[in-house]
Amino acid sequence: MSKSQAQVLRMLAMVPYLQSNDGIPVHELARELGVPAKQVRDDLFLLMMTGTGEFGGDLIDVDVTALEDEGVIHLRDAEFMARPLRVTAQEGAALVVALRTLRASSGPGEEAIIDSTLAKIEAALGESAQTPVDVVLDDVDPAIHRTIVQGLTEGRRVALVYATASRDEQTERRVDPRRVFTERGRLYLEAWCLKAEDLRFFRLDRVLSAELTDESVEDHEAESRDLSDGVFTVGSDTPYALVELHPSALWMTEYYPVELIEADERGIWTAKLFGADPGWLRRLVIRSAGSVAVLEPEDLRHDVTEAARAALAAYDGSDVPSKE
Amino acid sequence: MAARKTERLMNLIFLLLASTKFLTKAQIRESIADYRDATSDQAFDRMFERDKEELRELGITVEVGSHDPLFGDNEGYRIPRDTAELDDIELTREEAAVVGLATQVWQHSGLASGSSNALMKLKSIGVDVDTTALRMAEPRLSTAEPAFDAVWDAATRRVPITFDYARPGRESGRRRLQPWGILSWRDRWYVVGHDLDREDTRVFRVSRISGDVETDGEPGSYEIPEDTDLREVAGALFPPPREEPAVLRIRAGRGQSLRRAAEDVTRLDDTTDRVIIRFGSIWELSAEIASYGADVLVESPAELRDHVIEHLQLAAAGTLMAVEA
Repeated sequence: MSKSQAQVLRMLAMVPYLQSNDGIPVHELARELGVPAKQVRDDLFLLMMTGTGEFGGDLIDVDVTALEDEGVIHLRDAEFMARPLRVTAQEGAALVVALRTLRASSGPGEEAIIDSTLAKIEAALGESAQTPVDVVLDDVDPAIHRTIVQGLTEGRRVALVYATASRDEQTERRVDPRRVFTERGRLYLEAWCLKAEDLRFFRLDRVLSAELTDESVEDHEAESRDLSDGVFTVGSDTPYALVELHPSALWMTEYYPVELIEADERGIWTAKLFGADPGWLRRLVIRSAGSVAVLEPEDLRHDVTEAARAALAAYDGSDVPSKE
Repeated sequence: MAARKTERLMNLIFLLLASTKFLTKAQIRESIADYRDATSDQAFDRMFERDKEELRELGITVEVGSHDPLFGDNEGYRIPRDTAELDDIELTREEAAVVGLATQVWQHSGLASGSSNALMKLKSIGVDVDTTALRMAEPRLSTAEPAFDAVWDAATRRVPITFDYARPGRESGRRRLQPWGILSWRDRWYVVGHDLDREDTRVFRVSRISGDVETDGEPGSYEIPEDTDLREVAGALFPPPREEPAVLRIRAGRGQSLRRAAEDVTRLDDTTDRVIIRFGSIWELSAEIASYGADVLVESPAELRDHVIEHLQLAAAGTLMAVEA
């Protein structure tokens, strides 16, 4: 869609809205439209050049004094368009897919309200609601999901048993839920952790159990972390292992923080595999055995072979009797 | 000149919407500055036709007709209010809040503004949106893939496309596809459709499309088989269903990812649990088990145990598999 088409659609949505919201501040309209305030001003000045017949002087009027002095919008002479046009196919598709995404991330008890909303919106949109776009999220234990959403809506503290992937251990925590969101297509809880005395992220599929407590959440002065770059970001000081990567394992570059350096004549790459936690790196390398081999650091190389040997010894030592 | 064109399109829409009668071309030309200023009738005709086409693309239908059946050749234009305007829609307070929350999902400028416009239209007809009325998950859809816009457009309008596609480390190849739909999984976009060269359904990861996506036909020029279920067609993307049982010995407090999937956990002694899980892929499960080292050992089935031991031998060697020539 061209810039001018996007602007036309935006202005068409604005005209009736400004009439039923007389005196709305520029910044508020900008926020609702998700555009800079300057764009709203530009739109308004352009609107003043339009109307039902510019030749006859029947143009839309904006109270420029109020706009400049108070930053509020009064629209006049636009009664010919008091009602919005139908939601366009593009607008409808964007809304329907967003609703499907809410549905995919919803917990038990929330589905009904989203389904009834979707049904009404789809009926109103007609054919344009038949968008062939699907959003799939990982399954999360419904009982745990329900408890966490309940803690969030009722403002109650939640007791979690949480499995950390990096250290492979279970921890018990009491948390004050702040929000549930998705990142990389997985559900996370952001909550104040009383143990860490800070905000923490918890992946919902790693919560082993969740129970509502009788305590109410407290206010904690803490800024939510900006996640626009993702939960895990690689910086100049992020630790890494230098590894060899088998050509059949290049798919890993799309799933893990990997930086390819160079390939030899066999097609084997030297690469940096980033990870702050040695335990996580060790497990990833063993999981990818044959596809990933550690060059440096020596400690990690040693950890990997030792862990594998210890496991092999356990099988040899027949302390795992075969049940067959 | 973008502003000039926006202005012209807006004036055309307003003029045709406000008029209860069909307006002739001459009347339209008289009312809009750019049309008046056109250097010739042909220049005006071309501009007017292009503008009507743009309105059609925006989903605004211009009706052609005449009020006078005896002079049918003197046709006129209008945008009929009854079909152009948004009908009433009754939403409860909670449903309205759901729509409000939905408009926060897109991290993509075009689709974010599409859903914001839709919300604004609903508010204009009296839908009262208070997003604080409801707390629920705040999902986000990102669209970092450069080819996303073109693929979205093709899939939603049924336009055949061609593009260069490469798996990491492989040569790229030209693909010809009739897209059936797109799907987001773990925050990555996939396009599902009929591959015209392989004459079969295929799933493509949008991030692996390089260069421009070119259209290769008209919108709506093919049919999507009835009852197409995108998730089913793209089934290979998702983990296989867990069916086969496996019995594991897991050190107390260890093997978290396996415990989460556990069907049954029995304490054997102070340091060991017996854990029963079901699995879909023996390759994935054996890699996962091996990654825990001696903390997780397989009791049964024997095939899984052999897989894990082989995997551990590779890890203990610390070298790569041989590269096939």
